[in-house]
Amino acid sequence: MIATTHTSGSRRFKRVMTYAAAVAVLVVMAFPLYGIILTSIQTEPDIRSPNVAFVPTYIEPQHYQDIFDEASGIPVAESMVNSLVVALATAFLTVAIAVPAAYALHRMAVPGRRIILGGLAAIYILPTLLFVLPLFIAVVQLGLYDTYIGLVLPYVAFTLPFMVWIMGSFVRSIPVEVEEMARIDGAGLPQLMFRIVIPLLRPGIFAGLLLGFILAWVEFLTPLLFTSDLSILTVTLGLFRSTMDIAIGQLAAATVITALPVILITAFFQRNISEVVTAGVER
Amino acid sequence: MTHEVRAVEKSVTRSRRRGRLIAAAMAAPAVLLVAGVYAYPAISTLLYSVTKVHVSPFRLERFVWLRNFINQLTSGAFWEATWITLYFGVMLCAVTVVCSFLIALLLNRTFLGRGLVRVTVLLPWAVPPVASGFLWVQMFHAEFGFLNGLIRAFGGEGDIIWLGGSTIALHSVLIAEVWRWIPFATLFILAGLQIVPKAVKEAAAIDGAGPWRGFRHVTLPLMLPVVVPVVIFLFVWAMKVFDTIFVLTRGGPIRGTTTLNYLTYRQGFVDFNFGSAAATAYLLAGLTVAVIAGLGWMLARSRRLAGM
Repeated sequence: MIATTHTSGSRRFKRVMTYAAAVAVLVVMAFPLYGIILTSIQTEPDIRSPNVAFVPTYIEPQHYQDIFDEASGIPVAESMVNSLVVALATAFLTVAIAVPAAYALHRMAVPGRRIILGGLAAIYILPTLLFVLPLFIAVVQLGLYDTYIGLVLPYVAFTLPFMVWIMGSFVRSIPVEVEEMARIDGAGLPQLMFRIVIPLLRPGIFAGLLLGFILAWVEFLTPLLFTSDLSILTVTLGLFRSTMDIAIGQLAAATVITALPVILITAFFQRNISEVVTAGVER
Repeated sequence: MTHEVRAVEKSVTRSRRRGRLIAAAMAAPAVLLVAGVYAYPAISTLLYSVTKVHVSPFRLERFVWLRNFINQLTSGAFWEATWITLYFGVMLCAVTVVCSFLIALLLNRTFLGRGLVRVTVLLPWAVPPVASGFLWVQMFHAEFGFLNGLIRAFGGEGDIIWLGGSTIALHSVLIAEVWRWIPFATLFILAGLQIVPKAVKEAAAIDGAGPWRGFRHVTLPLMLPVVVPVVIFLFVWAMKVFDTIFVLTRGGPIRGTTTLNYLTYRQGFVDFNFGSAAATAYLLAGLTVAVIAGLGWMLARSRRLAGM
């Protein structure tokens, strides 16, 4: 009797602790995001007041209207289109190149496959700036400065090693027996790829597209160094450029707008994205 | 008879060769693109590091051999940046892993609203680094920032100048980066926790190990092979951190947040001294590889100890 009350007491204590911890984690992780949203819907004097209001008493949409206004210095709408084009192109190109490469490297006799796989992993370790100096010169000399190609090409290459690695873990999860059976049934390589491998890889390909899109959307160093024209401004760079002269409220609104697509994608598809990480652990 | 065998052998080798060719062709676009965007620049950077580079118009003026490296290794700014980089890397790994482990242990339990906590923990990862930089500018603002506001709301002075001194600014950048990397580390560790067989934990509980001893002697050793890759990943990331520093502090105040990566950027794209920048980039690469090699050795050891 005493023993049971003791256990139920400690169990209740455990429950309370769990919920307390959950609330603490929720508050700490969400607080900065909450703060920037709060800033974006307050008037400028309230933002600059030292009496920080943690609960909004009104919603001021002016900053959002301002940043989409033609007259504002930063073409936010145009930069979103630029980022969308570049990010979509990067996602599809990277996956289209990575899937056959990952399949060949893991399931076929590519000469030197160990060295190639090792090299792809090793590249991730090295600082990006190690590659950027000559790329900057090459981009300028090839006339790719301020062009879509000048952005997409480095994006694709920067994302590829990671993408091949991720696709590799999905390729390895396909049972070899399935492929062998298809081969015995007389399927050639094209049939094998399009009828068996790619359909089986669909979750991986989808996750890869999401990741490729996100990585390109958030990229900052490449556009910072390889573009300067306003017509090719990407969202992240636009956000940075806008720090120069506009109000904090507008900056906060632009921050929310820049982060929103990626946040929505992540929240919607968190299971797919988690899958990528889990595939990495189980290796 | 022998003719036939030979003919079959021939066709087998031919088809094998053809298979290899197709495999190579499938891997070629990825390999060539990566080689073009990495290998060629890496070699060029190596060349820059031993020459005097004239930037505009671009030409390599003359060989200076190891002069650029020696200049770096004898400069105070370089060593200052090296210590800042190492300190930042170690702190980022330690703080992120401890926080993430605790959050993962929480998410590994069942409770109401776990899905909500899970999504919220994942969100910072989705915020573009530049955006998260501004978000923290707003958090850290000395006058009307949210952190000081919070301190004031709880009756404190709330007059901390978060980005004011070298030391505090470095730790402010650290907070912003830890927040950004908790999602990835938590997800990774959580996936690992779910692999640790329940049976092992139950056996330990039956053997009379309390929750702490069970964690210390069962979960933790089994988790090492998962934690070490996270640490490697985080350390590599810490060595590359750029956006947050660029937005929050620009490497200041007084070089207090100038890591080696940021120093490379300054030397290359602010001072346009490509020779120094190339040398610094290679020294940073060497440092990263050395630390990763050490961690890799630890990983191999922990795998052996965990019997994996």
